[in-house]
Amino acid sequence: MASEAIPAPRRSILGAAPSGVAPGIAITYLSLIVLLPLAALLWVSTGYGWHQFKEAVTAPDAVAALKLTFGAAFAVVLINGFFGTIVAWVLVRDDFVGKRFVNSVIDLPFALPTIVAGLTLLTLYGPQSPIDLNLAYTRKAVILALLFETMPFVIRSVQPVLLEMERDMEEAAASLGANRFVVFRRIILPTLMPAILSGGTLAFARAIGEYGSVVLLSGNVPFHTEVASVHIKSQIESDYTAGAAALSLVLLGASLLVLLTMNYLQRRGLRHAR
Amino acid sequence: MLARYGLRLVALGYLAMLLLIPVGMIVYHTLSSYGASAVWNAMTQPDMVSALELTLKVALIAVPLNTVFGIVFALMIVRTNIPGKALLNAIVDLPFAVSPVVVGFTLILVYGQNGWFGQWFIDHGYPIIFSTPGIVLATIFVSLPFVAREVIPVLREIGTEQEEAATTIGATGWQTFWRITLPSIRWGVVYGIVLTTARAIGEFGAVAVVSGSVIGQTQTLTLTVDSSYQNFDPVGAYAAALELAAIAMCTLFVMNLIKPRRAN
Amino acid sequence: MAISVRGVSKTFGDYTALSPIDLEVENGSLTAILGPSGSGKSTLLRVIAGLEKGDTGSVFISGHDATKVPPHRREVGFVFQHYAAFKHMTVAKNIAFGLEIRKRSKAEIKQRVADLISLVQLDGFGDRYPSQLSGGQRQRMALARALAVEPEVLLLDEPFGALDARVRKDLRDWLRRLHDEVHVTTVFVTHDQEEAMEVADTIVVMNHGRIEQIGAPEDVYEHPANEFVMGFMGRVNRIGNALVRPHDIEIRLEPNGITREARVERVVALGFEVRVELVLPDGSPVSAQITRDESKRLRLAPGDSVYVRPSASRVFAGV
Repeated sequence: MASEAIPAPRRSILGAAPSGVAPGIAITYLSLIVLLPLAALLWVSTGYGWHQFKEAVTAPDAVAALKLTFGAAFAVVLINGFFGTIVAWVLVRDDFVGKRFVNSVIDLPFALPTIVAGLTLLTLYGPQSPIDLNLAYTRKAVILALLFETMPFVIRSVQPVLLEMERDMEEAAASLGANRFVVFRRIILPTLMPAILSGGTLAFARAIGEYGSVVLLSGNVPFHTEVASVHIKSQIESDYTAGAAALSLVLLGASLLVLLTMNYLQRRGLRHAR
Repeated sequence: MLARYGLRLVALGYLAMLLLIPVGMIVYHTLSSYGASAVWNAMTQPDMVSALELTLKVALIAVPLNTVFGIVFALMIVRTNIPGKALLNAIVDLPFAVSPVVVGFTLILVYGQNGWFGQWFIDHGYPIIFSTPGIVLATIFVSLPFVAREVIPVLREIGTEQEEAATTIGATGWQTFWRITLPSIRWGVVYGIVLTTARAIGEFGAVAVVSGSVIGQTQTLTLTVDSSYQNFDPVGAYAAALELAAIAMCTLFVMNLIKPRRAN
Repeated sequence: MAISVRGVSKTFGDYTALSPIDLEVENGSLTAILGPSGSGKSTLLRVIAGLEKGDTGSVFISGHDATKVPPHRREVGFVFQHYAAFKHMTVAKNIAFGLEIRKRSKAEIKQRVADLISLVQLDGFGDRYPSQLSGGQRQRMALARALAVEPEVLLLDEPFGALDARVRKDLRDWLRRLHDEVHVTTVFVTHDQEEAMEVADTIVVMNHGRIEQIGAPEDVYEHPANEFVMGFMGRVNRIGNALVRPHDIEIRLEPNGITREARVERVVALGFEVRVELVLPDGSPVSAQITRDESKRLRLAPGDSVYVRPSASRVFAGV
């Protein structure tokens, strides 16, 4: 008796993959929303030519803004890298009442709108500060705002690595004569370093572009507390398109560079992970 | 041991100083400096209400779009071998690398009066910049990656076995997706939706650049915080901030409910 | 005595891992701590290493009271079931680790690492990372690493448990030969009685946190102290009150007055040996083990009626 062949189902390459028009529509969507605006930026800024670009980027107020932005971002990454690792450590290895609450609160900077973050920091560390700590119009304010906004990156990056880390490496090191400090320095820290760097990179990319949380507290004093994003906005408002385009390109280029480098390093580091 | 308590103190102290106290402050300050009734009054002002409405309306457009397309992107990246899928992955992540102000700026370059297509839209009566469509586009841009990023690792982890089993039984691509894939990624999708919504509601920088910030017309709740503050209306600013903070708390709460289920 | 455990007990919550244990391990011996999971064998090993602290009792290593000494000062080498390789270091660096933190000279370290790499037959692998090694190679690296600092005592926690059967057999032989060459007091934990008998010169059988018996492999096998030990060391048949090993069951085609009748259910050829599964009239199953030659002579088939008697058996009180 001839067996009935089951008709081969029309299926895309692997399991339930989108086929037909779906990918096309999706690509169109992506292009319209993301690629089109970015293309415009590239087009316009290159359209102005190298000379204008250089002029815009080397203008003294622009330079001051960029220096402050990158400097503050770098400082913030170092600080949050340090404290973030400690927080992740305490959350994974320690246990205390309210730990779950603390763990859930870490994501607050991701959930809270940046302008609200700015206002809350202003309330506590501004002119009406109840603890008498007025940081408004200072560079410390910029650092503070960026610390708030980028805090979760390193913590959330390190936590899973710590959780998965096999304790027997630490025990092996101890059995070989390593005391707690040596174990931390030579075993734990190297294992965590890729995660710390990866979180730090994301934090950096976020910090250089940050606007909402900085704009209230820092007072945006040119040459003093004006960050790049604020400067770009004022250039837009005064119709200095070339300047805005040039600086935007610099910021965009910096984040892309930093993210690509991290990507590359991660893939190299992953080789030894197993 | 001393080390344990020391570390704990440093960690908690850092979090308290940076996170908990400022946020606790805003609730305390708002209610004590202005009183609950004044705050409620501010919240129910027509301008404030329309700001909330606009915020939610924009989110209601951006979130479903980014959810559907986010799932499609994730499937394209994980389940197909199309050329350039690494590039696709990178582009989906691009919004994370762009400063909100730059996002707004690029939209002006395309849709502004002197932009590529701006005049066309203005001539047809649908200006983008300085009005709601611009806000929508900006919000979609910044909240684009979340669902895709949450779904991609889940898709990778669950593997193709179940889907392959379904197709050998005769399910079409669509049936497999609907009955097998989607249920297994649902918590990743939900978590992504929560993050997308939070981002959409909370966006400020891009929207500030793109909208005209005309009170009552093109103001979202986040813009209201800023403009009230600049116009010496602290009650309004804090009221709007409190609303947003409350939404953020709910977001945080839901995030933590869902987080453990994502890994599955 | 290389290791002296006196009155060590340990509970985890309300679970007793170790009832008070006394154990003496002779210098230079190769001892296996054998038992099923949950017997406390790993816990005991870890207490000796200092990775766990006993609730009571004391541990002496080479005559010194090590009870309060933290693991990094105990001079014990420890090898883990899942290798515990330092993934971010090369094989050479892994092995050198203990020497580096003891601040030995670079030249000395280099020499010692080279010697050890040769000893464990990992020549040429020094610059590789653990992820590029097979399981067996990683475990050999772990051994070299532990031996690098010349420990007083070498402890291995189910060292071959994560490896394929073939690799396991090879490494067993290899461990035995290594011990013959290096002579460091070695204690390893296993749940595999064949492994214990093949490798160790002394076996400590544990169950439910207690030591059931200590002895040389032949002793523990031939003269088990109780039913548990007998059952754990090999297959056992219960015939009436007695416990009989499969190879102690004689099968005859004719009765001779002291045999019992039995019916053959299955004849399984296992290479050199043949297992014959029988059923006694009362329904109880008996598993006998005979040689290939005997099997050829008897020519058994399922359904045959035969006569069996135990040529040796043991009866334990209170059974």
